[in-house]
Amino acid sequence: MPIYTNTYRQYDGQPRHRFRWLVVVEQELKTLAKFRVFKLLCLAAFLHIIVRLLQIVAYDVLAQDPNNPLQLIFANLDVVEIKASTFFGFLYLQTSVMFIILLYSGAGMICNDVRNNLMEIYFSKPLTWVDYALGKIMTLVLLGLSITALPGVLLVGLHNLLLPGMETLQASWWWPLSIMAYSLLIVIPAALCILACSAQLPSQNYATITIIMALVADSSLAGLLAGLLRQRNFLGVSFPLALRRIGEVLFKDTRVLFTLSWHWCLLFVVAVTLFALFIVLRKVRREEIAQ
Amino acid sequence: MTAVIELTDLCVSYRDMRALDGVTLSFGKGATGLLGPNGAGKSTLIKTLLGFVRAESGAIRVFDLEMPARAIDVRHRLGYMPEREISSPKVSAVSFLTYCGRIFGMSRVDALERAHEVLNYVKLGDSRYRNMETYSTGMLQRVKLAQAILHDPKLLLFDEPTNGLDPDGRIEILNLIQDIAERPGVSVIVSSHLLPDVQHVCSQVVMIDKGRVVQSGDIQALTPRHDNHFEIRFRDNDAACVAALRAAGHRCERLHPGNTWLVQCAGADGVRTIFETAARCSTQVRHLQPARHSLESVFLQAVGKD
Repeated sequence: MPIYTNTYRQYDGQPRHRFRWLVVVEQELKTLAKFRVFKLLCLAAFLHIIVRLLQIVAYDVLAQDPNNPLQLIFANLDVVEIKASTFFGFLYLQTSVMFIILLYSGAGMICNDVRNNLMEIYFSKPLTWVDYALGKIMTLVLLGLSITALPGVLLVGLHNLLLPGMETLQASWWWPLSIMAYSLLIVIPAALCILACSAQLPSQNYATITIIMALVADSSLAGLLAGLLRQRNFLGVSFPLALRRIGEVLFKDTRVLFTLSWHWCLLFVVAVTLFALFIVLRKVRREEIAQ
Repeated sequence: MTAVIELTDLCVSYRDMRALDGVTLSFGKGATGLLGPNGAGKSTLIKTLLGFVRAESGAIRVFDLEMPARAIDVRHRLGYMPEREISSPKVSAVSFLTYCGRIFGMSRVDALERAHEVLNYVKLGDSRYRNMETYSTGMLQRVKLAQAILHDPKLLLFDEPTNGLDPDGRIEILNLIQDIAERPGVSVIVSSHLLPDVQHVCSQVVMIDKGRVVQSGDIQALTPRHDNHFEIRFRDNDAACVAALRAAGHRCERLHPGNTWLVQCAGADGVRTIFETAARCSTQVRHLQPARHSLESVFLQAVGKD
């Protein structure tokens, strides 16, 4: 007589209906955390943050303390000074690391699910294509913001804590807003362009190569146009330089690379972002509803 | 019998090609086989039921809910085992199933608990903790089956569930599907081009060819008894018995498994003849039952290839 029946129980639980995209984000981050390369890249991103942290400590603690023997050195070093452009510089340098991390994480996000025939399984559950797409996009956006906006805002907070006073607050109250705006401007287009390539191409490698080649081609075209026509404003055709131009305005940076109106640059960035979003949504919707 | 699925004049096309052509059908409770040659429209029908493919015309009602308008509500109540092989690199079966449960809307604890429960049920053993890219085809089929039953759906759609399996694995999967189909209130649709698979699991069958339903009904009713045809098994001495039967004018044909014979008796008192022959050959009849028309012959007749 069998003493144990191999079966499974009836499920009586009440399924949650909202925020299914959060489950997608959680799973993607969990899976990414299993890759050693991903962890190394995140570590590399944090090295720069630590350098900036030391810079803030050097300026706010050492340079402001007349009794400190290092005060003279730091007080006269222009590069150590904390101002709005410091954070622009931080984000500008952080962009490359952020882009590499997003490229590594996102290039296979959609194409691997398609290639491994997982879409049918996901969409046979009560998961909508909007939840799925939002989950993938938000994973990359949150990942990008966690190494740009989050440390940027925390560094501003630290600066205010170490150098308290109305003067610091008056000078820096708008920095977090600029950091947030610029971070969103660099993270969202990057995330969507990477996901668009992942949605359209059959493998992670193809998507990675395509996005790098597109960036190289775009920057080369901008350089070529600017050189041939002897007009620096054509540098705005380069996507990274268009972003930089907006950053210069957001952080009131005086080191201007070209004088093309930032409105045109913003329009270019928004157009590319919307096109990438359209590609991602169209592909994901087609995976759920083939016809 | 209450219809779980009702299809009315359903037409589905892929550009110029008509995949389903005026399908009017209802699926009741229990296990139903969807039979048809490759390209007949079986997978299209299943994908239409899931809402993946939209019908050109016609109406679909699943659990009395209109599709595809109520697709999300319907997907709460159904499980789907796709035909194509799946994989999720760097993810174990437990983790994958937990994710599927969370997508369904289960809490983290519920999802993990149920993942283990259904993985036990499909007998995946300790391999459940290994990454899925290391799994064999049979193990991946079990994972696919497990994710389909994870939320205890009332309707299960199996698309070619025994694809790529060895004979033992095939029987195991079919036994599991049969067991699931026997659960109270559960309806199962098994799409396959393998007739024995459908016969193993299902009591009802729908035969599709070129997008049209060519035959449907109860398997028992579709395969009536042959007059004077018997399936028999002897204790031993098969060769002598068969030779004697043949000598007496009866037709004998070996069936699967190998020691079973189909005997077409020449006269009306066939059973007596068989027992007498066995006695003459100093053996016994260990199995005797009236033979039925095979599903294969019904299918071939339905698709016009008899």
